[in-house]
Amino acid sequence: MKLDLKILKNKVQKEIDSVKDLKELTEVSKRYLGKKGILTEILGSLKKLPRVEKVKVGKEANQLKNFLRIKLDQKAIEIKEKTRKETEEQERIDFSVPGKKPILGHLHPLTEVKKKTEEIFQAMGFSIVRGPQIENEWYNFDGLNIPKDHPARDLWDTFWLEPESSKLLLRTHTTPVDVRYMEKNNPPLRIITIDRCFRHEATDASHEINFYQIDGLQVEKNISVANFKATIQEFFQRFFDKPVKIRMRPSYFPFTEPSFEIDMLCLNCGGKGCSVCQNTGWMEMLGAGMVHPNVLKNSGLNPKNWQGWAFGMGFERLTMMKYKIDDIRLFYSGDLRFLKQF
Amino acid sequence: MVFSYNWLQSFFKKKLPTPQKLAGPLIMKSFEVEKVKKMKNDWILDIDVTPNRAGDCFSHIGIAREIAAIINSKFQIPEYKIQNTKYKIQDFISLEVRDKNACLRYTARVIIDVKVGVSPKWIQERLISCGLRPINNIVDIVNYVMLETGQPLHAFDCEKLENKKIVVRFAKKGEKIITLDEQNFSLDEDILVIADDKKPVAIAGIKGGKLPEVDKKTKTIVLESANFESKLIRRTSKKLKLKTDASLRYEHGIDPNLTEIAINRAAFLIQKIALGKVAKGLIDFYPKKVFPKKIKLDLDYMEKLLGEKVPKKEIKNILEKLDFKIQNLPFKILTIEIPTKRLDISIQEDLIEEIGRIYGYEKIKPIFPITSLIPSKRNLNIFWEDKTKNILKEVGFYEVYNYSFVSEKDSKIFDLTSLIKIRNPMSGEQRYLRPNLIPNLLKNVQRNQNYFSKIKIFELGKIFKSPKNEKRQLTGLITGEAFYEVKGAVDSLLNGLGISDIWYDSFEPSPKESKIFIWHPKKCAEIKVGKEKIGFLGEISSKVLESYQIKNKVIVFDIDFEKLEKLSLEETIYQPISRFPAAVRDLAILVPQGTKVVEVLNKINIAGGSLVKDIDIFDIYEGKELPQGKKNLAFHIIYQAERTLISKEIDEIQQKIIKILEEDPEWQVRK
Repeated sequence: MKLDLKILKNKVQKEIDSVKDLKELTEVSKRYLGKKGILTEILGSLKKLPRVEKVKVGKEANQLKNFLRIKLDQKAIEIKEKTRKETEEQERIDFSVPGKKPILGHLHPLTEVKKKTEEIFQAMGFSIVRGPQIENEWYNFDGLNIPKDHPARDLWDTFWLEPESSKLLLRTHTTPVDVRYMEKNNPPLRIITIDRCFRHEATDASHEINFYQIDGLQVEKNISVANFKATIQEFFQRFFDKPVKIRMRPSYFPFTEPSFEIDMLCLNCGGKGCSVCQNTGWMEMLGAGMVHPNVLKNSGLNPKNWQGWAFGMGFERLTMMKYKIDDIRLFYSGDLRFLKQF
Repeated sequence: MVFSYNWLQSFFKKKLPTPQKLAGPLIMKSFEVEKVKKMKNDWILDIDVTPNRAGDCFSHIGIAREIAAIINSKFQIPEYKIQNTKYKIQDFISLEVRDKNACLRYTARVIIDVKVGVSPKWIQERLISCGLRPINNIVDIVNYVMLETGQPLHAFDCEKLENKKIVVRFAKKGEKIITLDEQNFSLDEDILVIADDKKPVAIAGIKGGKLPEVDKKTKTIVLESANFESKLIRRTSKKLKLKTDASLRYEHGIDPNLTEIAINRAAFLIQKIALGKVAKGLIDFYPKKVFPKKIKLDLDYMEKLLGEKVPKKEIKNILEKLDFKIQNLPFKILTIEIPTKRLDISIQEDLIEEIGRIYGYEKIKPIFPITSLIPSKRNLNIFWEDKTKNILKEVGFYEVYNYSFVSEKDSKIFDLTSLIKIRNPMSGEQRYLRPNLIPNLLKNVQRNQNYFSKIKIFELGKIFKSPKNEKRQLTGLITGEAFYEVKGAVDSLLNGLGISDIWYDSFEPSPKESKIFIWHPKKCAEIKVGKEKIGFLGEISSKVLESYQIKNKVIVFDIDFEKLEKLSLEETIYQPISRFPAAVRDLAILVPQGTKVVEVLNKINIAGGSLVKDIDIFDIYEGKELPQGKKNLAFHIIYQAERTLISKEIDEIQQKIIKILEEDPEWQVRK
């Protein structure tokens, strides 16, 4: 019996060594360790032996069984590794073939920039508000200190609605929202509105009949031109993600006093002068000012107690600068070749 | 407005900076300079004078005063002296003003023995620089003084005035006038005219008439320098569609005290250049004299508003350079006298602007505000809009922004009603405000169909309904055989917005509606959430598509966004994942072509009870191999319970389902 086991061990060893694939290996395993396998049968026949011998042979047989298992496992790993290497050797991928792209949707560039702008102002404590696009003369003009029959009204070319008696119009700016908000909310307040407006003017690369305007307002007991300068500079810095230089020069809006215009040092040429800034080195960004006492009054606030700043900026212009778009009409063209770039 | 550099220089003894160098400080402290342009031996500055400053700065003197303040230099207005003559004005002309609210001031002078001829070169050059054509010395001087002072003037040939009378009155209905440039105008009672004893001789504040024109033979002239109510001139100018250098100035408003200065300056020049003799006396109708106002300026408030302290010495210098008079310099609250030419200054904020801009806005250092920490309010409208847009983007839609208008043609194709009409459209494309988003989305398809085989777009925007309703609408479309793709997108969207109770209801248009129905009558459905109708889904009728030259089919979803937003829910509640395995059995059934899938699903659900976790339809087939009028539906039925289901149990339920399905003799489960 002892001899048998030794011979058996050598035999199995040889058989395992000569195995070529997993199928043959399974057969070897079955032949020795299967239900009717040689070694299984040896172990089964042990109970017939006398006790002393049973212990001795049993121990050796079990050792052989463990040895066999380890050998089989090792061989299996060896074969798998070999096959893996062989397959990998044969497999190829041409990484120059274009990838299969999932079909993605695209948001309009104005939506993307709107989100970013709202985010920056919200971080500075501004609430985002809205108002109607169909306005009456009071909110669009008179309430903003733009008197009827005054040439200042010519600054805002207006679409009027039928019937004439309704005196309704399409708002020419988002500034009416300021008055509407101040009427219903107590200061101190900080708001931003980015929404659609309308101008009755011929379209060209920088003018559209409908467009978006961002309007900002902060009303406090104590707020100044210096504060506005800091706030708007911070906005531009965050928006363009780099240090910017702004300058302030006088302007005129009936609803602010003093009024000013904000220019930004040209991002394209750094102020040297280029085609983007029409060789001035500066880019006109927005109009702003300290809220006119009449506008505060018209909104139900006492100008003796409150003061504020407000600004208005063309939103397409901001977006065009961000993406270097050169024609405002692209935004409303619905051209998918344009839209898929964002 | 254009200004001559040489002319501006003439007010200064010291040499001005070069035109290019002058533009810089002008931009930073007064007005935008649009252009600096060489013209013969002069330079032209195109200055964008703001409407509030027209009163004093639509003139070379006004701009010179600004320059003097900006560059801190001295400027001088030319002197003039009128010589005494033997003539008395009363012997030549009489004046009657019938409406003192329309004509605020009327001054006139008479000059005798004028020699009408060519004006001197320096006047001609300055006029040409400013874009005016020299005519004769009288007309040129009148124009010259307007450009110099900002006061429009007019010269009549005295002998051509009927009965030597000037009457300022409103026109009679039907009265006519031929203007100097030979245009005919029919007048009415709202138009103020200058008339002689019989007929209008000028449209007040706008344009002179042909009749009393100054010509080569003219010997005696009447000079007019008047002030008319600005709104009246603006209305008349708009009504007659007649804009002139004079009307432009009047409609912005002019200081009534300027008429006298200007008329004397003009009389002086005519006396000097056309060798006329100025009659003694000035006819002056000026019932409500305007005096300088006084405004209190609180220096503490100024500092609070600007956020910067301006030294008092600077304040004094700036105000005085701009002709303001300070009455109590040592105090904290100053009283400032405002010259009447500054029509734009009426409150202390106006003065703060004057000081701020000349002092220099660049000197104001940016400082962050100190304020109470009030958190910004969340805007749910924007939150749901962004969420909606993101979901549609994720399922592959492009977002478009279209015009808020539709054309007459759109309105006819869609037979639109309750439209809001634009009173003054720029073109036929903007006849109405859009009552829905579909027409413009179809135009997008039309424009893109040559470049893209499949178009998948949406818009979220305002739509309008008479009389003044506006609301947000969400509309999207996919081209091609995409009904189920659109429906799936709507389901994904609504699920993403936390809405579950979605179903689609058949829609039968009423006979009246069907005539104008833009949808394919058999391929459309109402989108409902619970009992509420929130939108529509379907294929656009080929008749409509033809009108827009669209080749492919177009499937549209059209949802009332206001309703959708109200139904949306932000919270999601986690459902525990079952620890027990699910089993899948397939089932194929032949049903009549008219049978709806939902009928089969309902029966499977009823028969299967709670163990049927989910049913997926994976095939719908109609074809020749099938019996006439039948279609084949194939489902995966997913069984799952809070225990492990054994095979036998599942088979029993599956058999039960088959049995119930086959209760209908027309239905046949394929085994």
